[in-house]
Amino acid sequence: MMTRRTVLGAGLALASACTIAFGECGASARRHRERRSIDALLIDESIEMLRQLPAFITASGRTLPVVGIRLDAAAHAGLRRVLDTSHAIVGISLGATLFCLERIAWDHGFRLTGRSQRCATDPGDDACRHDVAAYLSGMHPLAAMPSQLIRTYRPSRADGLLHTWVMQKSASPQLRQGRREIHETAA
Amino acid sequence: MKLPPNVSQADFSAALKAFASVVGDQWLFTAEEDLELYRDSYSILWGEPDERTASAAVAPDNADQVVELVKIANRYRIPIYPISTGKNLGYGGAAPALTGSVVLDLKRMNRIVEIDERHGYVVVEPGVSYFDLYNYIQEQGLKLWIDVPSPGWGSVLGNALDGGVGVTLAPYRSHFDAQCGIEVVLPNGRMMRTGMGALPGAKTWQQFKPGFGPRIDGLFKQSNYGVVTKMGFWLMPPPENHATGVVTTPNFRDIIPLVDAIGRLEQSKIVQGLWTLSSPTTGTPGFAAHEAGPSKQQDPKILAILNDPGGIDMDQLEAAAKSKGLPFWACDFNFYGPRKLIEAQWDCVRDALREIPGARFKLNEIRRLPLPPEELAKTRDLGPFGIPTLRTFDLGPMISYEGEDVVGHIFFSPVIPRTGEAVIEAMDVFAAIARKYKLPCPPLQFPSSLFERAFLFAVGLPVTRSATVNAKIRDIIRELVAISAERGWGEYRTAPAFYDLIMGVYSFSEHALREFLETIKDAVDPNGIMSPGRYAIRSRHLREAGIV
Repeated sequence: MMTRRTVLGAGLALASACTIAFGECGASARRHRERRSIDALLIDESIEMLRQLPAFITASGRTLPVVGIRLDAAAHAGLRRVLDTSHAIVGISLGATLFCLERIAWDHGFRLTGRSQRCATDPGDDACRHDVAAYLSGMHPLAAMPSQLIRTYRPSRADGLLHTWVMQKSASPQLRQGRREIHETAA
Repeated sequence: MKLPPNVSQADFSAALKAFASVVGDQWLFTAEEDLELYRDSYSILWGEPDERTASAAVAPDNADQVVELVKIANRYRIPIYPISTGKNLGYGGAAPALTGSVVLDLKRMNRIVEIDERHGYVVVEPGVSYFDLYNYIQEQGLKLWIDVPSPGWGSVLGNALDGGVGVTLAPYRSHFDAQCGIEVVLPNGRMMRTGMGALPGAKTWQQFKPGFGPRIDGLFKQSNYGVVTKMGFWLMPPPENHATGVVTTPNFRDIIPLVDAIGRLEQSKIVQGLWTLSSPTTGTPGFAAHEAGPSKQQDPKILAILNDPGGIDMDQLEAAAKSKGLPFWACDFNFYGPRKLIEAQWDCVRDALREIPGARFKLNEIRRLPLPPEELAKTRDLGPFGIPTLRTFDLGPMISYEGEDVVGHIFFSPVIPRTGEAVIEAMDVFAAIARKYKLPCPPLQFPSSLFERAFLFAVGLPVTRSATVNAKIRDIIRELVAISAERGWGEYRTAPAFYDLIMGVYSFSEHALREFLETIKDAVDPNGIMSPGRYAIRSRHLREAGIV
């Protein structure tokens, strides 16, 4: 379900990720954070490790909306609000979730601009932590992924892996801009 | 970018300029990055010269703009291809049926035009998704339920026009059958309303389906005779309760009296909820193209019979199941409504099926609706509760086929008779094909009772990014179509790559149906601008030029 479980201020995910879960980031990360404005961190609620992330983030004192995502109707309503109001989002999810989310986000003008699936079976391993921290901190160049990974995510045997990704609004307009007015409701 | 056939660059450019003047420059898409999104992710022709791709896309805001766009398309002979949300992966998605078409993207038209709790209907534009409609009803606290397909991100209107189905009560499951009233922009740019909607100021457009004169709504299902801009649907009141009931029987051939008895209950409108057929011998159900996840510990003897490369010997399987105390068949029923109605329906099921020796019955807890959030969170399949989800994508990692990543699937979907004999025959026929080509299918596949009077036997086939493997899958589908047609089984829906193949088997009286559809096409769309090739219907100039 999409919930704004932690609404603090931008960049906090970085702090939490660096200091608590994802190793050292330090001044370098802060510099990068200034350069890039990430509007929300989307986390796949089907992953146990990620459920703990908001608690880490809360402890940091920095702010960034952290949004839980699930593949159901209730989550979709909240997701649309985030997509309508954001320009850049970072996410951590299973591949199957990314596949759906990316297609929904297209209609809101977003394009996948970075993705990593290096953290494979163990989201707690060092490579994974560093990867996630890099995305959250802005140390990971937004368009530095190989082009075949950037264009779109396609289902594969990697669906069950943990994917870290960035989406940004493109120059294209939003095809979906919230629900339109209702002409008539009869009770 | 591929130009539409028989259109000059000058005319194409002029048409795009005119399109933009109607919708605004920002709603005309010609960049490669944007057009990439109008490909079908599950296309069985991905990356091949025959993959159907768009030359441009244009996104109107309202029906009046659609009218203007259609007139421009006629002026320059530009093929246009309306899509609603374009999420129908494997059945074309957002891709046109004819390469070079301009996609008419109707996502912006996402108004819920009217919703009426008293009479139980809604009128929607093409861009309204099941998520949108569900969330609106919840937010407004309306006492209405919707029937949803899986996945639920698609358009309510588009799903119905494609022949989509859901999983709740029989009168609502066939989404086109649940529609009442269509507004359509015809290929000549004229707007028309069907049924009572043809009466200006009609008060019963969404209440009386037949209208006056011929009922032509069906002409807009799986066709290309216009751009549907509004559609009404009957909705159901929220049921008070839900329960599942399970009937098991011990013998393989019990399927024959089982289907007959349930059929009579359905024809009598006693059983209205969806019922599903499975076999406890298989442990957990498998899903084509997905790893099925950890299965229950299965008896090695049963497993060996199920995986016999020569095919499953049903007598052996039945005997092995009996030795382990397993029934052969299980039927899961869904019941909705007041408690006393559910209990009465269950009594009728028991009465009808107790004639089958060894049949056992279990009615599960009758649960008050709506279910509390914590229960919904634990429920994998929310479709029976009228709640759209995308959980069908979360069945587990895709597997590989022929050494290639499976990236999606397409369905071979024949309609077979509602009899146990047909079930036995279809299971045998399709299992043989699955073994022959080592398809990633579960050892036993079962028909679906989505339709009221016939079974659907959907076989999921893997789609890869390998042209060689995809070509093999296309050959398998041709074989399946031929085998099925020999038995009198036809498909109800197919991927664009197979429109002509499937239409070809509906050949009674020297293809009279196809010729009738083409006659209508020539009459209403003489320039052939509307979705050429969709469901194998083309205007004369394309037929004569041999353009498919």
